[in-house]
Amino acid sequence: MADVKALEHPTLKVPYEILNKKFRTAQKTLDREASHVQQTALEIEREISGDNVQTSDITKLLGGMVEKLQVLKRKAEESISEELQATNVCKKRIEHLKEHATMTPLGTMSEGALNQWRRKRLDRMVVEYFLRNGYYNAAMKLAEKSEIKDLTNIDIFLTSREVERSLMNHETSKCLAWCHDNRSKLRKLKSNMEFNIRIQEFIELIRSDHRIDAIKHARKHFPSFEEEHLTTIQQAMALLAFPVTTVIEPYKCLFDKSRWDTLIEEFRQENYRLFQLASQSVFTVALQAGLSSLKTPQCYSNNRENRNPGCPVCNEYLNQLAEPLPYAHCSQSRLYCHISGLPMNENNQPMMLPNGYIYGEQALQQMARENDGQIICPKTKEMFSFKKVERVYVM
Amino acid sequence: MMHKNKETMDACLAVEKEIDKVLTKFNGINEHASRVLNELVSQVESLKEFEAAPDNHILTPLQVYLIKQTITKVKDTVSQLTTNHRDLHSTVSKVGKAIDRNFIADFTATSRGDIFNRPDKIHLINQVVYQHFCRQGLQEVAEELSKEAAIKAEVQNKEPFTELNHILDCLKNKDLDLALAWATVHHNELEAHSSSLEFKLHRLKFIALLKKDPPHQTKAIAYARMHFGQFVYRHEKDIQMLMGMLLFVPNGYDNTRYSCMFDNEMWVDIYETFTRDACQLLGISVESPLAICINAGCTAVPALLNIKQVMMQRQVSGIWNGKDELPIEIDLGTDKRYHSMFACPILRQQSTENNPPMRLICGHVISRDALNKLCNGNKMKCPYCPLEQSPNDARLIFF
Repeated sequence: MADVKALEHPTLKVPYEILNKKFRTAQKTLDREASHVQQTALEIEREISGDNVQTSDITKLLGGMVEKLQVLKRKAEESISEELQATNVCKKRIEHLKEHATMTPLGTMSEGALNQWRRKRLDRMVVEYFLRNGYYNAAMKLAEKSEIKDLTNIDIFLTSREVERSLMNHETSKCLAWCHDNRSKLRKLKSNMEFNIRIQEFIELIRSDHRIDAIKHARKHFPSFEEEHLTTIQQAMALLAFPVTTVIEPYKCLFDKSRWDTLIEEFRQENYRLFQLASQSVFTVALQAGLSSLKTPQCYSNNRENRNPGCPVCNEYLNQLAEPLPYAHCSQSRLYCHISGLPMNENNQPMMLPNGYIYGEQALQQMARENDGQIICPKTKEMFSFKKVERVYVM
Repeated sequence: MMHKNKETMDACLAVEKEIDKVLTKFNGINEHASRVLNELVSQVESLKEFEAAPDNHILTPLQVYLIKQTITKVKDTVSQLTTNHRDLHSTVSKVGKAIDRNFIADFTATSRGDIFNRPDKIHLINQVVYQHFCRQGLQEVAEELSKEAAIKAEVQNKEPFTELNHILDCLKNKDLDLALAWATVHHNELEAHSSSLEFKLHRLKFIALLKKDPPHQTKAIAYARMHFGQFVYRHEKDIQMLMGMLLFVPNGYDNTRYSCMFDNEMWVDIYETFTRDACQLLGISVESPLAICINAGCTAVPALLNIKQVMMQRQVSGIWNGKDELPIEIDLGTDKRYHSMFACPILRQQSTENNPPMRLICGHVISRDALNKLCNGNKMKCPYCPLEQSPNDARLIFF
């Protein structure tokens, strides 16, 4: 399977979901404006079906009709141009992905171009990782520096930042507006976001000792959720009977302020689902797989000489990160000379020093030449004569 | 590679085809809407011509008929317009379906979500990302990250990259002075690594002097006498060649064996040599470790998704618990192998500390577990050559 197929689903799916949303908004706008026109049309029809219609009346109505038609025309233009814009984002991204495949016609690939593309891919992944962790300024800076703004989903995260910030300040209006904005989609996803916000509002009213308002709030908002959430609603209603300082569960828990953090996390997840973003970022998925495919027992050897400064998994931080991950799989021996880094094979036979350490013949010969036939084992610093070196055969 | 490119291309083209259809249709409806609405507006406006009539004028039957007709047309056209737009929904949703069909939505199937979402792990990742951008020279991004993710800027971590990036920028602009100063400071360490960096820098400086007008040649000679002597041990031939260039100072170097000394290649080479040798000397990797990991991951994820799918189909997914070892070998190319791996040719298993490689007296290497299995009392036969030997003579070896 090609890497683009396996990893670029969100690159395309998110702008598609935006396009889809734009389409629905456009349809709604068109329907609304069209119905205004139809209404005026009906009025005119009603007017002229009577007897002795005066021109002045009908002129006024016709003027209204022209106005409505012009509004419809303007709204149609605006809506469709937004749809076109959203479609063009999809197009841009698919073109970027195609570059990856086209720059290697008939095997003559330009290494530089491929590396460039990969660097951009890493930057795209990091932007998403930043956004998911709330490092918005870093994300925007990187997108700007790497010129990949069109290729990343910054916009949807910036919208969600607004909502998250308001939730952090214990405000619900932005989140409710978001729920309203995406109502039909959220219903399809069976989202509980709105319900949980309503419950939280109820709890806050009780906390501030507005118990009558709380009841009014409950009457207004809870009935529509009753079928699905009867137990939760009953639990919440029972709060009315407890002081804010209660130690009785689950009421103590409901009063806990950390419920707001839960709401923020829930909102993040719902927003990902709304745009079909996976629960993990592509970045962390690729990082896990990459670390695993590079991880060897030597990276964790007690003898630091076994580590290789060029190996990412031997790098301090990545080494700690990779610890819980599986090792790479290896069914066929692959030997490299620790001195020269060259592969050991029939052209560069593996040779054993008397202390049991194996190095490539070429490196040992060179060392012997420069050192009057003496070899110093780089791992143990022991000194041997080259004559004591023995051949090993690795199948 | 070719095969994968075709796969990528096919997937992209399938989606692009649907996107293009959407673009065509939206453009079409856009044009159509503005045309018919303009027509309607002018038609309705033409009806208003009896505005000029006195206020109490009563509409004639013909006028009523005309208005009726126009209004019917308005109603039909407008309702047709919204229907046309609604019909585009299937075209739009085909894009989504094409994406789902050609790209993998559930790419997280092979990784464990719980591993990297703990605060301590996120902190580690942030450190790695921070270092990555420092070494890429994207100081501003690193700075923003350190503010937002609360990373303490570790000065000793940042310095070498800042310095190296600065020197590399100068080299790009063919300015040697900073690089030479750095190499002189690290002279002994560079010699210990048998690095040619310092010599190559002096060489370029010398060539630059020769390139100026002929009077500079005395300066060039003075420069050579001052600096080249220390490198004669490893670069005698190169020095001879450089001094040979003096023969051609008056007439220029075109079409001589020395013309290559002025190629841009020399600058590309010094850039790479500096990066490689400086990184080696400072014990940091030449390529960004993060970039290596992510590129390796992009190779590994598709392979792992494939094998996971196969395992699910054969209902053996339980075999891979995702903890000890990946289920398949990921081919990352020879330059991405940093450690020797010994797999016992008898047991087809990677060696471990508990099951290390052993060299038999005949030179063949097998794992200790295999050796124990092949033992028959105090005797064993090498599986690769007929030599009979005592298992006690086998030696533990280290790759």
